[in-house]
Amino acid sequence: MRDLLTGLDRALNRIYTFAGAVAAGFLVLLALCVALSILTRMAGLYVAGLTAYSGYAMAASAFLALAYTFREGGHIRVALLRNRLAGRARFAVEVWCLGVASVFSVYLAWYLVRMTEISWQFGDKSEGADATPLWIPQSALAAGASVMALAAVHALIKTLLTRDIDAPFSGSSQTLSE
Amino acid sequence: ETWDMPLAYAASNYHSENATQFAEEVTEATGGELEIVAHPGGSLFKGGEIFRAVRTGQAPIGERLISALGNEDAIFEIDSIPFLATSFDDARKLYEASKPALEEVLELKGLKLLYAVPWPPQGLYVNKEVDEAADMEGVKFRAYNAATARLAELMRAVPTKIEAAEISQAFATGVVESMISSGSTGYDRKIWEHVKYWYDVQAWLPKNMVLVNLDAWNGLDEEMQAVVLEKAGAAEERGWAKAEELANWYKEQLAENGMTVAPPSEQLAADFKEIGQTMMAEWLERAGDKGKAVIDAYQGME
Amino acid sequence: MIEIGYTAIFLAVLFLFLGTGVWIALSLIGVATIGMMLFTARPVGDAMATTIWSASSSWTLAALPLFVWMGEILFRTRLSENLFRGLQPWMNRLPGGLLHVNIAGSAIFAAISGSSAATVATVGKMSIPELRRRRYPERMIVGTLAGAGTLGLLIPPSITLIIYGVAVNESIAKLFIAGILPGLMLAAMFMAYVMGWSLATRQSDDFAAERYGWGERVRALGQLLPVLALILAVMGAIYTGIATATEAAVLGVAGALVLSALQGELTWASFRESLLGATRTSSMIAFILAGSSFLTLAMGFTGIPRALATWIADLQLSPAMLIAALTLFYIVLGCFLDGISAIVLTMAVVEPIIRQAGFDMIWFGVFLMIVVEIAQITPPIGFNLFVLQGMTGREMDFIARAAAPMFAIMVLAVIVLYLFPGIATVLPSHM
Ligand code: NA
Ligand code: NA
Repeated sequence: MRDLLTGLDRALNRIYTFAGAVAAGFLVLLALCVALSILTRMAGLYVAGLTAYSGYAMAASAFLALAYTFREGGHIRVALLRNRLAGRARFAVEVWCLGVASVFSVYLAWYLVRMTEISWQFGDKSEGADATPLWIPQSALAAGASVMALAAVHALIKTLLTRDIDAPFSGSSQTLSE
Repeated sequence: ETWDMPLAYAASNYHSENATQFAEEVTEATGGELEIVAHPGGSLFKGGEIFRAVRTGQAPIGERLISALGNEDAIFEIDSIPFLATSFDDARKLYEASKPALEEVLELKGLKLLYAVPWPPQGLYVNKEVDEAADMEGVKFRAYNAATARLAELMRAVPTKIEAAEISQAFATGVVESMISSGSTGYDRKIWEHVKYWYDVQAWLPKNMVLVNLDAWNGLDEEMQAVVLEKAGAAEERGWAKAEELANWYKEQLAENGMTVAPPSEQLAADFKEIGQTMMAEWLERAGDKGKAVIDAYQGME
Repeated sequence: MIEIGYTAIFLAVLFLFLGTGVWIALSLIGVATIGMMLFTARPVGDAMATTIWSASSSWTLAALPLFVWMGEILFRTRLSENLFRGLQPWMNRLPGGLLHVNIAGSAIFAAISGSSAATVATVGKMSIPELRRRRYPERMIVGTLAGAGTLGLLIPPSITLIIYGVAVNESIAKLFIAGILPGLMLAAMFMAYVMGWSLATRQSDDFAAERYGWGERVRALGQLLPVLALILAVMGAIYTGIATATEAAVLGVAGALVLSALQGELTWASFRESLLGATRTSSMIAFILAGSSFLTLAMGFTGIPRALATWIADLQLSPAMLIAALTLFYIVLGCFLDGISAIVLTMAVVEPIIRQAGFDMIWFGVFLMIVVEIAQITPPIGFNLFVLQGMTGREMDFIARAAAPMFAIMVLAVIVLYLFPGIATVLPSHM
């Protein structure tokens, strides 16, 4: 049982890391799209939809990185109460926070998936010159939000099982400046 | 019942003012039984979100620029085919001719058309004198969708991608030197600070339409529907009259602020007419029989 | 009356979520969901998805992750260290010393970036470690960054000024010009505060131990050149029309990569680290922005901001009282909304009041910028505070308290601007 859980934990963490790496790729893609929009203008060319593609890449990058950022302790919160409390009270507050986070990240993921589905059914297209079927870029958001929901529920269960409130974020908890 | 009505344009824009008046009139006429609350300036949903929001019932009613929906169906692009209908009278005819097709497409998407109001005619803003289409060769021309990019190409101008929010800055820094847009755009952005010529080519008269979600519509009793339709009809008449009045006013303002405002030369008008023919043929390829029927109906009108 | 009850629930839930430590982005989503369920019969989840999709994929935000990345690259080179070494001989006799770099650096960076989050993230990434190493008090490091970071809105280019200009049909070029002097004035006020603090606490003695000759100073200038050249190149690209203000950010990234390669510090590992760091920070900021856009939508449906603005309009105040009331109104609104949302939600009602009272709309735009800049540093929802929390790992209450003097300075700036409207209007009137 224990081995199974450890294995699952490791597999989930690999998913977050992988999604984070893909997100980084989209950030590079965003830079390339923006660079291309300067270069093509200098060359007097019109490439349909570069602006839209930049936006899609940015959104994909932000959402696919959600879970990875969550595990690395990169999402911020008001830690005042958490740091003032100790023992059982502190544990209870952390469980409450993770519970709320789980509810709303699942809620978000659910509706982003639904939005993507509706776009697909309606055949919704971008209003811009790119005329991209919207379900394509939206599925990156839906996927990112889903992995984030997974990470929140995962963190909740892990905290309950280990009784250690730092366990979900032990991946590497460096703050950005240090 | 309360209907929130998202509007994309600023509260002081005549489309927003007109829609707000429509909302108030309906609220008053139904004794508050149907209260329509206008939310101008993209304060509820932004322009790009409104069509989808109304379609999926996130907002029961809303306003959208028709030609922005060209990717949904080619019929939505009919009022922005360059040089097809180049006056208010022609634009009205084109609207009447295209209305049945428009309503049909909208109904398939679960929407009902309440009314449509045009923007002032689109003119040519440019930083130098232009007597014929050839003068546009090499000029950096603002392209914001496939049609304006194609138009630039046909004028042998350089299509330059500029988003609406960046127009003023782009002209100020010379990223772009010309665009086709209505007099109101130039007035709103004080374009005379950067560009000196405006040619009243009346390239096209795009329209905004006010849409209502069919489920929300069917939820009203017949009496209420009749009230909404009556007020919508009044709003449409008001809007068309206001657009025409403003078109002249904007022209005066541009001139008053030091721009050279002029009709196109004969040569330029002829050149543009030819470009228009090409673009209409290309549109008909996309729009198929449905499009052809509308064009035939329009050209058959007196 | 029932609205007041709903509003109370709305606020209670907000403080409950934020106060107990629920992640900020998810708190905003939660509060907006509950608020919308209370106030409207519309499908909440679908509206949330539509709004979050459009806010997250909007082109106007594209510069933010790129500037964050630029900061991450520079931070991993010797460039930021050199920048401070180069400035040290010049600034160590000045009371407050290198703390002024936070302010001057933000003012300069504000000239290439349209957003205040990008300004704080980029300048802070470089300056926080350097100032910490020199043992400046954390409270002052954080406070000056939080305050000066808001200059991104006032000093052109500015996304927020564009939004205002489009909403009220005023010249964006004039608004941009109008923002320059008040922006510099605000920067000067922040600097004066730092000097006053330093003289009052005599803390500057610790940093001014070394003396530098003019030869050293001139030689030190050489170390400033790379970063200065980078910023000038980006600014040049904007003002010569090579790139739009949004696109210029990518030139910042490219320039930072070139500089770091020239210094021999561009390795696969440093590239990877900078990219991942930028991905995390951007994701954190974008998630909060997404939540905030949904909260804005919910606020729109509740009608609270509009009702408040209408209430103020109905009071028939004198011009001075009107400006005082609006200042207070936007400060309160700014506690819960970011500046752009506050403007978009209220302009329809506020614009006619202001025009009727006879105020110059350009002047009012500048006034509004300072007031919504304040929103960036007021808890519970203040973006500069969030970014700084992400960068320093400090608690929110510490950061908010550190920023409190800057709040006071900005309110003072509003008063000065009211008494001397020429500060905003003199430059545009010469156009
Ligand atoms: Na700026
Ligand atoms: Na705030």
